[in-house]
Amino acid sequence: MSKKRKLMKVYPIEENCISCRYCEVACTMVHSESKDPVKAYKLENLLPRATVEVKEAVSLSLMCRHCKHPFCFDACISGAIMVDENGKVNLDEEKCVGCWNCVLVCPFGAAHPMIKEEKRHSFKCDLCGDRGFPACVEACPNRALIYDFER
Amino acid sequence: MRYVIVGNSAAAVGCITGIRKVDPDGEIVVISYEDRCYSKPMIADVLVDVPEEKLLYRDSSFFEKNGVETILGHKAVSINRKNKVVALDSNELVPYDKLLIATGGKPFVPPINGSDKKGVFTFTELHSAVSFKNYLKENGAEEVVVIGSGFIGLEVAYFLREIGIKVKVVELLDRVLARALDRRGSKIVENMMREKGVEFIFNDTIEEIMGDEKVSSVRLKSGSVLRADAVVVAIGVRPNTELAQTAGVEVNKGISVSDTMETSVPDIFAAGDCIECTDIVDGQKKPIPLFPLAFEQGFIAGLNMAGKKMEYLGGLVLNSLKFLPVPVLNAGVVEPVDDSCEVFVNDKFEKKGFYRKAIVRDGKLIGFIAIGEIDRTGILTNLIRQKIDVSNVKERLVELDFGLVDLPQWWREEKLKRDKTAYKDWRAV
Repeated sequence: MSKKRKLMKVYPIEENCISCRYCEVACTMVHSESKDPVKAYKLENLLPRATVEVKEAVSLSLMCRHCKHPFCFDACISGAIMVDENGKVNLDEEKCVGCWNCVLVCPFGAAHPMIKEEKRHSFKCDLCGDRGFPACVEACPNRALIYDFER
Repeated sequence: MRYVIVGNSAAAVGCITGIRKVDPDGEIVVISYEDRCYSKPMIADVLVDVPEEKLLYRDSSFFEKNGVETILGHKAVSINRKNKVVALDSNELVPYDKLLIATGGKPFVPPINGSDKKGVFTFTELHSAVSFKNYLKENGAEEVVVIGSGFIGLEVAYFLREIGIKVKVVELLDRVLARALDRRGSKIVENMMREKGVEFIFNDTIEEIMGDEKVSSVRLKSGSVLRADAVVVAIGVRPNTELAQTAGVEVNKGISVSDTMETSVPDIFAAGDCIECTDIVDGQKKPIPLFPLAFEQGFIAGLNMAGKKMEYLGGLVLNSLKFLPVPVLNAGVVEPVDDSCEVFVNDKFEKKGFYRKAIVRDGKLIGFIAIGEIDRTGILTNLIRQKIDVSNVKERLVELDFGLVDLPQWWREEKLKRDKTAYKDWRAV
């Protein structure tokens, strides 16, 4: 069980974050049909999977941590959340029935609800899937997000 | 090593997952009287014609991939702890080295005259949900009475309205979800249900179910008589401990288990709705029959059965009302438990569509409600679980932008930089 997993994920570095929210924009854009930031927000009703938090001098960008023990996986009633052999936590939005259990149990607030007339499902960081490299890390101008092996 | 699991829902799947983390080769056998591994919380969906295959929680490939042998359609009737075998209703004997009892809950049906008539249903199994739906169709049912306004009762009532059936919900207490929500929350949910056309009768209960062979009406304690082409009894579930008792396992309100999910009988473990667990918030042992807990308990049982010692973090009440257009979540307690509790409320439901409430005791969050806006509420759930001091951010707990920046810096350091996200890393601090 203690064997090291070969998983790369996105790590926030709060000391470097300037809360510019480029990560949020990049995230929404790459997950859109149009690949256009304005259309993605306004027409496709998409929301970012990275969340920039700001409180006084502290800010950071936060997304799914792909926990070693994912409570979202325990709580998922539809089987939409699965963990792959490397420990990456995947959420199948088609399979998701919108029970919101993952939203209720994620200690990081990284599983989000999409509650729109036409679609009701949870969504979260997928490490940009087939894209190969997370868009938020690419977009970050101040090295406040890095893509690195699990610690 | 030969592992045997009785039951085939969340706790069983959690157990298989846990065993395979430690032991890739041991034999695993699953015994269930049901024919497939479906999602119990989703059974009401059959009322609105969601195809049954959509309700599958794990398909056959999951069992194949994990090398699990399944004995389906047969009920385990007794356990011989001395010879370590489970006897099935087919008279087959299934030997085990380590056994998990995951027999779940059974619906509670109070003694009511006439409850044996045709047309009276409970709602905890796919089989009963399908029978209910077929009964409605075959009998051209137009009006249904639901007894109980808990999560199951409300969901059934809501879906019955979706398919155009008149519904009256009879509730003994004076509001809906009285055990899960506060008054304000109950009112919000009740209003949404009424908008859907569900009628409520509070402070009343059913005295008699009337009709010849089939139910035709019900008589309430108050004396009024309601037409009922069918009745759904949804008062609650109790731990199903019958099988455990055949092995002489210690049972209180539910099967009694240690922190490693082991029962009083060696090599017999138990998890899910059939057990009682320690509530993180009040330290009391009680049944908390909820899906996420069942999976987690099964997982921990699986690790321990396979020889990896791991202690359960404890149970926590976690509810989500999934069928309403507006999400309703709660965790822990929703009312102050004593005078030392502080209550924080952010009620903008009328104007902005959300309601938030948090209960703080001794500087720790012990429960919350989130209606309408629910994003990131898992952070609050974890504050309850880890008992993190929130004294200096308590007013912020009910703000929609409450986030990790409100948590202590050491917590972010540990979780975000050092990846301390294994099971043991979520214990109380």
